[in-house]
Amino acid sequence: MASIVRPTLLRQSCLKAASKHAFSTKPAATFPAINRPAASVLSKQVMPGSMRVAAFHASGRKLILPPLPPNEAAKVPEPSPSHGSYHWTFERLVSVGLVPLTIAPFAAGSLNPLTDAILCGAILIHSHIGFESIITDYIPRKRLPKTRKLFDWGLKLATVVVGVGLYEFETNDVGLTEGIKKIWTA
Amino acid sequence: MAALRTTSRLFAATRPVFKSQTRAMATVMGTAKTGVVSPSKTTTAKEPAADADSKIKTFHIYRWNPDEPSTKPRMQSYTLDLNKTGPMMLDALIRIKNEVDPTLTFRRSCREGICGSCAMNIDGVNTLACLCRIPTDTKQESKIYPLPHTYVVKDIVPDLTQFYKQYKSIKPYLQKTTPAPNGKEYLQSKEERKKLDGLYECILCACCSTSCPSYWWNSEEYLGPAVLMQSYRWIADSRDENKEERKAQLDNSMSLYRCHTILNCSRTCPKGLNPGKAIAEIKKEMAF
Repeated sequence: MASIVRPTLLRQSCLKAASKHAFSTKPAATFPAINRPAASVLSKQVMPGSMRVAAFHASGRKLILPPLPPNEAAKVPEPSPSHGSYHWTFERLVSVGLVPLTIAPFAAGSLNPLTDAILCGAILIHSHIGFESIITDYIPRKRLPKTRKLFDWGLKLATVVVGVGLYEFETNDVGLTEGIKKIWTA
Repeated sequence: MAALRTTSRLFAATRPVFKSQTRAMATVMGTAKTGVVSPSKTTTAKEPAADADSKIKTFHIYRWNPDEPSTKPRMQSYTLDLNKTGPMMLDALIRIKNEVDPTLTFRRSCREGICGSCAMNIDGVNTLACLCRIPTDTKQESKIYPLPHTYVVKDIVPDLTQFYKQYKSIKPYLQKTTPAPNGKEYLQSKEERKKLDGLYECILCACCSTSCPSYWWNSEEYLGPAVLMQSYRWIADSRDENKEERKAQLDNSMSLYRCHTILNCSRTCPKGLNPGKAIAEIKKEMAF
């Protein structure tokens, strides 16, 4: 803001100073005899006003304007490892854990309700974290606080619904692994 | 210094003789009045009679003037003979500014890839104009834009205020309370020094940060690859005693963990550095 104001402000102050006193810092009226020769050299006929102003400022008049405000550092948020490093580590562990969990039932060829349940839980957590990440990326809390809240709760609801659905599928139906096997061979 | 600069501007403005001379140099006219002119017709300055072996290449350059805020940004075309132009994009830009259109605005300083001023998007890649060769294929037209997803100050000059503010927030200087054992300087072993190779060379041109989609969407909170790499430069420094505070500063959902390993940063870096790896190292150090 100050940078915008600066040139015009400076120009006005310069022109004002130039028209009143030209070069002299002393009042001109007090010593007319001494001041006259200098005034004639530097009068308007000899040099245009702008040059007098330039010379006026080049010769050591400082602090016309206050310095520009400094660039403050960006605000640092409060540390919260549960949203930061712990969250990231947990996310990676789940992702890595999903690889053997996915391969195991098909490689072993046998069905174990326990591994099936763990697989379901891991997929649920994995997709919850994944969708959460998408929401954090594309719906910034600063610009769209209401939409963000809506999506956050929508995701929580969806995760619960999917969780209940998977539980039903595991307990009352064939289970996830068997289901995929059937679809695969169908 | 600021006073000197502004008075010189004032000086130039109040001397009509000089003004008319600069006007005579400007050869691109009338585009603002007539509205949008098709990009191929905006340059009125023609190259002098083309030689048989001249290599005429077209450059499309993004133009926007803050003095006419209601006018939309447009692409303006310039043609240059490559035989009379230096090998780099910056040479072409400087030649356009000197000989064709003095209103073209861009930052440049060192013209040898050490100041980072001339970072811009050339043919779809963020790079330094002074390190980017002009493709000699004259059929291929070059397009020059400002760094993507930045506020534009004028033409190809982006506003990097937020970038610098974020850089300031990571405290990019040595923090140490214990005095040096020899009373003079803090010593490092060769191995410790070697860890800083590939980190300290960063010139903060903002090519990587502005190529990162995550930084596009969340530049208010996510620090971006350049700043994170500098953060790691101080975390990795054996002399720094503020590592835990530095890490704690990044330990939230936004500052560091908006990096999704897209690796546009490592791909685009005009200095050949690897910000993606530096960010991965921070994540690794913070994980265990």
